[in-house]
Amino acid sequence: MQNQEGLQADGEVDSATSAPSTQFDDWANFADNDIMQQQSSIQAEEAEKIPFEPLSSLAAEYQSGSTILLEKIKVLSEQYAAIRRTRGDGNCFFRSFMFSYLEHILETQDRAEVDRIKANVEQCRKTLQSLGYTDFTFEDFFALFLEQMESVLQGNEDSISHDELILRSRDQSVSDYVVMFFRFVTSGEIQKRSEFFEPFIMGLTNATVEQFCKSSVEPMGEESDHVHITAISDALGVPIRVVYLDRSSCDTGGVSVNHHDFIPADSDLPSASGSKTISPFITLLYRPGHYDILYPK
Amino acid sequence: MTSTSAASRKALSKIACNRLQKELVEWQVNPPTGFKHKVTDNLQRWVIEVNGAPGTLYANETFQLQVDFPEHYPMEAPQVIFLPPAPMHPHIYSNGHICLDILYDSWSPAMTVSSICISILSMLSSSTVKQRPADNDRYVKNCRNGRSPKETRWWFHDDKV
Repeated sequence: MQNQEGLQADGEVDSATSAPSTQFDDWANFADNDIMQQQSSIQAEEAEKIPFEPLSSLAAEYQSGSTILLEKIKVLSEQYAAIRRTRGDGNCFFRSFMFSYLEHILETQDRAEVDRIKANVEQCRKTLQSLGYTDFTFEDFFALFLEQMESVLQGNEDSISHDELILRSRDQSVSDYVVMFFRFVTSGEIQKRSEFFEPFIMGLTNATVEQFCKSSVEPMGEESDHVHITAISDALGVPIRVVYLDRSSCDTGGVSVNHHDFIPADSDLPSASGSKTISPFITLLYRPGHYDILYPK
Repeated sequence: MTSTSAASRKALSKIACNRLQKELVEWQVNPPTGFKHKVTDNLQRWVIEVNGAPGTLYANETFQLQVDFPEHYPMEAPQVIFLPPAPMHPHIYSNGHICLDILYDSWSPAMTVSSICISILSMLSSSTVKQRPADNDRYVKNCRNGRSPKETRWWFHDDKV
């Protein structure tokens, strides 16, 4: 065990043993402070994101890149009109989910959906309690999410507009708390159904289910995988479509874009019988390492 | 040594204040075994007495932890250091800084002062040798200007202890 600075300094010793030690210390200090400052300025820059752009902006990004990606974007543009970019800070899945869900409620004013999700949120609260979490560790995060949901419903004193929703999604003191609420919900669901999730977690890491939740779900900035998405979709009962934009091609020759629908287990939505297919109202675009929001035509 | 980063000197936010009051109440009802909170009127800085667990290298020894809470606790991790004299331990520097992932990158708002204390005691209890980290002198020299351990980019490459 060592701090990174010590390691860097060791490297320097090998190559320049004659360096006076004071200069050496300054360098070592500089490295850490500088890198951390740069990190926070990148974070500040990223926080300004959530811009809404036509899908053509995605094509522009890859103009001189892989033809297979450009062809896939062309296919995407037949179904999707626009993309909303979320900041790349490791919380992009949860932040995309938050914005997309609240925007959906804002646009549909679907009170039945709000009542349904509130019941699920109460269930999640009980799950955490039964897992031994102390109420004060999660209650502020739960309260803040419920508050956001109330405020996108119109006709109250505290109702907010679409513009205000964007502002709140950029405001760390709201946005990060909601992200953390989702992290709690995800962690609780995974631990509650640990037998179900264990084989998937073992495929990702050699940690136990509990260790995985402590190290890869609960800390902010930890990226989300299939496991996280499955868990939150199940816990809240919200179907999520993830569209994959990568270089993989299919054997048949034609270009197609893969997607996966995460459909809640024990879903009480009409279709469990197979008579009707559920179409998720949340669609996210996945490019290796990042999620953004997609808007269908 | 007692100087802290600018961020942690800012007053607690309302949310942080509420949360800490709740943690304090919970601590009073149900303190972690082996720890004693030294009562002050300062909610933003806790000083906690740690008793080495019986049957370990630190049995019958007492140390003091200083916990400073940042404005945006619990979204941000508290700064936790040992007040001198810090225990002799391969992950604890002589200036009291502790190399423990949950205090930095792996911090989560789901954790509490109580859970940090339990992690630190378990780190002490599993130690098999009383010695300083290999890079102790260089690291401590670099901290002369009073910088906080939270300003160090830690490298956790040993989970044995």
